[in-house]
Amino acid sequence: MSSAIPRIARRQLWVQLRTTEWRVLILAALLAVTLTSFLSIISDRLESGLLRESASVLGADLVVRSSRPINENRSEMAEELGLTTTQVIQFPTMVGAGDNLILSSAKVISDPYPLRGKVITDPPMVLAVPEPGTAWAEERIVDQLGLSIGDTLQFGYADLVLTAVLKQSPDRGSGFNTLNPHLLVNQQDLEKSVVLGPGSRAEFRLLISGENDPLKIFEARLKPTLEAHERILSLINDQPVTGNALANGLSYVRLSSLTTLLLASLTILLALRRFGNAQQSRSALFLSMGLTPNALVKLYFWQLGIAASVIAVIGGTIGALLASLADLWLSGLLPQALPNAQWSSYLVGPALGYAMLLLLGMPPALEQANVPVAQLLRSDQTNTTQKASWGLYLVSLVLLSAVLLLFLAAPAAAAVLLIMLGISGLLFGWLAQLILHSLGRFLANRLALGRLLIMRLRQQRKWHRLQAGVMVLLLMLLSVIWVARQDLVKEWQAQFPDDVPNYFLINIQEWQKPGVDQFLADREIDTELYPMIRGRLVDLNDAPIRSQLNEEQLKDNSLRRELNLTWRQQPPKHNQIIQGTWWNTDSSEHQISIERDMLEDLGLKLGDKLGFDVGGQPVSGVITSVRDVKWESFQPNFYVIFSPAALQSYPGTWITSFKLPDDRKAQANELLREFPSLTLIDIDQLMKQLAGWLERLAESSAFVLIMTLATGLILVTITLLQALEQRKTEVALLQTLGARATETKHLDLLEFGLLGLVCGSLAVFSAEITLAAMNQFLLKIPLSVHWELWFTLPILAAIAFIAIASQLRAPLKIEQCYAILKSNG
Amino acid sequence: MTSRSVLLEAKQLGKQFKTGSGTLDLFVDLNLTIHAGETIAIIGKSGAGKSTLLSLLAGLDTATSGTVECEGKPLESLSDAQRAKLRADKIAFIFQSFHLLPELTAQDNVALPLEIRQQPDAESTANEWLNNVGLGDRTDHYPSQLSGGEQQRVAIARAFAGNPALLFADEPTGNLDEATGQQIVEQLFSLNEQQGTTLILITHDLELAKRCQRRIQLSNGAIEELS
Repeated sequence: MSSAIPRIARRQLWVQLRTTEWRVLILAALLAVTLTSFLSIISDRLESGLLRESASVLGADLVVRSSRPINENRSEMAEELGLTTTQVIQFPTMVGAGDNLILSSAKVISDPYPLRGKVITDPPMVLAVPEPGTAWAEERIVDQLGLSIGDTLQFGYADLVLTAVLKQSPDRGSGFNTLNPHLLVNQQDLEKSVVLGPGSRAEFRLLISGENDPLKIFEARLKPTLEAHERILSLINDQPVTGNALANGLSYVRLSSLTTLLLASLTILLALRRFGNAQQSRSALFLSMGLTPNALVKLYFWQLGIAASVIAVIGGTIGALLASLADLWLSGLLPQALPNAQWSSYLVGPALGYAMLLLLGMPPALEQANVPVAQLLRSDQTNTTQKASWGLYLVSLVLLSAVLLLFLAAPAAAAVLLIMLGISGLLFGWLAQLILHSLGRFLANRLALGRLLIMRLRQQRKWHRLQAGVMVLLLMLLSVIWVARQDLVKEWQAQFPDDVPNYFLINIQEWQKPGVDQFLADREIDTELYPMIRGRLVDLNDAPIRSQLNEEQLKDNSLRRELNLTWRQQPPKHNQIIQGTWWNTDSSEHQISIERDMLEDLGLKLGDKLGFDVGGQPVSGVITSVRDVKWESFQPNFYVIFSPAALQSYPGTWITSFKLPDDRKAQANELLREFPSLTLIDIDQLMKQLAGWLERLAESSAFVLIMTLATGLILVTITLLQALEQRKTEVALLQTLGARATETKHLDLLEFGLLGLVCGSLAVFSAEITLAAMNQFLLKIPLSVHWELWFTLPILAAIAFIAIASQLRAPLKIEQCYAILKSNG
Repeated sequence: MTSRSVLLEAKQLGKQFKTGSGTLDLFVDLNLTIHAGETIAIIGKSGAGKSTLLSLLAGLDTATSGTVECEGKPLESLSDAQRAKLRADKIAFIFQSFHLLPELTAQDNVALPLEIRQQPDAESTANEWLNNVGLGDRTDHYPSQLSGGEQQRVAIARAFAGNPALLFADEPTGNLDEATGQQIVEQLFSLNEQQGTTLILITHDLELAKRCQRRIQLSNGAIEELS
């Protein structure tokens, strides 16, 4: 029989694929496998492309990163230990060719480079560093500037010849540096370009590689002497290479698939239960022929295994295809071509498919072993193991939950979500059934079918609870995501008035300021230049600030980085003084005007004295005023403004922003031709990029949404099928007792219509509460009632329920009625 | 008849059911001896316990008291696997509603019990038996392509193919019209005679019961052998 079992299992599956429960099961499992395959492949590619820490991503074994030039003694210390070092300076800068300009991330390097990983160029180059006088640029720069190999591009005051297109390079830097297209430039061309003046914003990195032991010694020696502006990135200390935003984003997308997976699991569970019940006489027949109970269970596991394999192959393939389509869909938004996913990520979806089918199939498969053979002789013999099998279901559900949590990678968040969804589902189910019951009582004497309806509602209450629990939750989630998406976009668009500046001009050196002023004045561009000096907040009232703050305050961003400081005679027009007064001319002390949030977050007050470290020099001032700053105004905004005397003598750069209408945008190019080392940030372009990201985010949530909706509808189908099956006897009895077929049909449709209405209304109600809470606490936008939901959702839900029910409901002929009653008697 | 060996013996067999108000004795102290090669009809009113008795005799159900011995071995002392082996090797069933697997051809349906006991010539034996019941030209047909009578003939072929010592038939003509039922009965009895199988038949049909060597009436929890 060992060889016969797989064959019988295969044939059995093949013929049962025609039954609704198997179709429903296959569809639900396919959706789950496709979605998880897609998500695991795409997130693996994003992670290895942007997040995964590896020597080839760092470009070294260990990196010292700083916002100031790296102290010489760092590299000397490393070299003494026999380690190899090299320096990299990376900063945003404009690159031009003819009339075209693009904001790029320039990486100034010298041989050897990189210390780990590879720079790949087209055409391939022997050295990993461009020769002096040449540059390698990523495709986006080449495309935007319309360059070909051998053309000249403008890098500040230097003209460089493009000798290769940069295909892939490690050591991408942090923050915005990772997103702007890269330009590799030789160290020797930096001075000539004059792009980097004192106070210019740049990231300085010392790349180090070598044996593990000296690396550890170096790290141990460096740590105690680490300056506030320095960070160590290494594979040993496990520090993240880039911010966690993307990692969080990825786990959010995975979490959003939880609803789909839960619905799919519930569908598979119900379908398999139904399948298990339908298999009883077949199992009894096998047992009557002498098949042992163990062999019978094996037969069912074979069947489930074959089904899971087919689903794994098809779902895995569709998921992989979707993931490759996502490449096209994300192109232009990601900094570089994503690396291929690891082969293991292709197995995650199929593995989950196997887990779902085999774990959820375990109880019905094991139950078959206990089917009484005598039921073939006597119809009153039913499986007496129903109660005992609840334990089995519990075990299989717990195991499946563990597998799901493992897949979602954020077990704690997923567990909370799982519990929340479970509790809400139960609550909604219970509420819906209660409302249905009251409605039934109300209609009992008002409708011809009222009395029958109330009996029906009482009889089907368990199914109603399940169907309503799932549907209300699903419809609520869909409404919240749908409305929140629109609200978010609207809110985002509404916060930018038409006259906001569309250009930021930064890195203006002291010696360039009069020329830039003149240029802007000649063209009647209304703007004002602000000095920008970088300093770190170190003291509060002449004592170290860190020792005076609580744990929460110590996490504040203003303490973790250097702040951009400025000095001014007059308060900025776009800021409003809300406490204190602008400079008191009688005071002999330096004065500070501080931004409101910073004051509140650090628990400061008027009269407090703040001390800063500006390039190693202490500068302090007393807080005399508090400002309200509109960060979204796209004006140069500062947390801290000093009275002029405090900072005037410190070297810094100047910054400004201005509005250029579309027809005067050529003037921006003119400005850069005159002052090639300035960095001009085109906000319109940046906004377009951000809008692109938002759109993609909305699209990806819509993708998960559609998958969820599809799974939800499949689940409703199986529950309705189950409910309709169960009431067949009742319908047969009613028709035998004289009810017309149309009456029993109306009773069914009335019941499902009411169920849909109640589910839809409850869903809108709970969606409104969730949205109100979100608007109030998260988005801080005015509350609104979404009337369109109140009208559409209950009606659509009722129509959907009625449509699926009439599709599934086969009318009974009177001859069938008698047969049903006879067979069940 | 007495020269034949005892194949199945029920000793002081009792079966009780729990009901809402207490227990119900379906039968008490029931004794029955069946010899190899006998044909026996069990008759009785609806609810008399015919099917329950058959289940007990076939080892598909457990008695409340007493024992059923097959070739001297008490069935209740056998494990599930031993009972499964006993069914595979010695027992076959014919049901009122045929119970053929819809996805298997007539040939595969007949071969199924042979495959369960890993008989190497399952296919040729199945074909041979389909020939014996007159369906030699329908071996590749699926149950849905066969008439009710033909389906029951496939079921008969399936039952005999395993060369069982004991054949239980539960209302084998119950789902067939009279003429077809008559043909089936003829075939069943003629094959049974050829094979020397012990046949235990449950029926309402007294005419059919008369074809058996012994007739046992079950009523009020007791059996009575009719002459």
